[in-house]
Amino acid sequence: EVPVLISEDTVISQPAKILNFLRKQKYNADYELTAKQGADTLAYIALLEEKLLPALLHTFWVEAENYCSVTKPWFASRIRFPLSLYLPGRMSREALNRILLTRGGPPLYSLTEVEAQIYRDAKECLNLLSKRLGTSQFFFGNTPSTLDAFVFGFLAPLYKVCFPRVQLQEHLKQLPNLCRFCDDILSFYFRLGVSGHSPAGQDSVDANLQKLTQLVNKESNLIEKMDDNLRKSPQHPPRKLTTLKLAAGGGEGSPPSRLSP
Amino acid sequence: AALYFQAFLQMCNLPVRVVCRANAEYMSPSGKVPFIHVGNQVVSELGPIVQFVKAKGHSLSDGLDEVQKAEMKAYMELVNNMLLTAELYLQWCDDVTVEEITHPRYGSPYPWPLNRILSYQKQWEIRRKMKAIGWAGKSLEQVLEDVDQCCQALSQRLGTQPYFFNKHPTELDALVFGHLFTILTTQLTSDELCEKVKNYSNLIAFCRRIEQQYFEGHDKDSSSSATSRSAKRSLLR
Repeated sequence: EVPVLISEDTVISQPAKILNFLRKQKYNADYELTAKQGADTLAYIALLEEKLLPALLHTFWVEAENYCSVTKPWFASRIRFPLSLYLPGRMSREALNRILLTRGGPPLYSLTEVEAQIYRDAKECLNLLSKRLGTSQFFFGNTPSTLDAFVFGFLAPLYKVCFPRVQLQEHLKQLPNLCRFCDDILSFYFRLGVSGHSPAGQDSVDANLQKLTQLVNKESNLIEKMDDNLRKSPQHPPRKLTTLKLAAGGGEGSPPSRLSP
Repeated sequence: AALYFQAFLQMCNLPVRVVCRANAEYMSPSGKVPFIHVGNQVVSELGPIVQFVKAKGHSLSDGLDEVQKAEMKAYMELVNNMLLTAELYLQWCDDVTVEEITHPRYGSPYPWPLNRILSYQKQWEIRRKMKAIGWAGKSLEQVLEDVDQCCQALSQRLGTQPYFFNKHPTELDALVFGHLFTILTTQLTSDELCEKVKNYSNLIAFCRRIEQQYFEGHDKDSSSSATSRSAKRSLLR
């Protein structure tokens, strides 16, 4: 079952349990939220699951062209043989099952009618999210919270994956604040540097490099000053040749040693 | 659910008469109860009824701005997602409740063996749905935890206001009232579900306020069903 979190010896699956585990380890994105904002989070997550999820499942797993040309090869490439022959098909059937059991039934009698209804609901849900987000960077101000992560999780695949059949994606692209929201999170938290580190790791590497550079600069400034002092001071006789030879023999590969006072 | 519609219609100041029928599910155009019968039109289910009433010029949420409407719809989904599913779980997936209460009640209008067949069929249908949405693996404790979390969210959102959007009731108030009132007044094998709701005093006060404002006055004019009369007695206890 995915997603799965592996931390040292602990293996946890299911999103709710993973979030609980992280909270117990003192990682909590909702620490700054008020009680009402916490309640709003639950409500909006329910809205996403009821109104947006069926259409997302349909776009990825049921819409034939999308499933055959994008989703199935993508998932099959990540699953070991022989499960790769069987699992994608099962996930597709489960998605259709879920859509029909939760949204099918009278007065909608055919799959086409159910599809039309779930896409209408999904478009309305996207509109509502857009209105709620407005011009803010995140849903509760300037710092991201669990709700932002949930919304991103639902929207980003829809926004970025190249599908042949794109009606919901087209609708999302007409809501510029939601697109900007996805782009912001992608660039802050998912940008991969040349070394493959996440930006958070890259930042600390950069900071260390900066400190090292400053240290080397200070040292070289110090050495230059000492050099200056030496030139200005009275000249000393040169050292004996034998000592120099030994120094040169010992340190051939290294840069020429300076005469230090 | 019937109570939600009744509350909603009374909040719109529309006169309503509640009638119980054994074949209600078959009369409904969508197979779901309750439904309303207005003139020669029959409309069922939450969304269509609200639209229908709105088309006739009555709406409870016109005064809300766009962000508030989004919030209202989100909270309504929370109630459907958590409370309604928990009620269904308790009625159809908790073996004790199913045997002692649900089967007899659901099958009561029909003779044997039809009563058993129909109630097993309904149970199978509900269990399939629970499995599809991932609730089949949940234990009763987990379901009660979810109910508690939902009530906490509703309680925090309501705060000290009379209604969820301050002074005037909206569809959300009717929906929350319908579900909470049903939970508080329906007899089950244990009181655990009821107790979860009772932990939140502002929600109890909210239910009493709506009941007093919209149901007591109307009792004298219209003929209310036996269910709401007996339910009323138990809440005011």
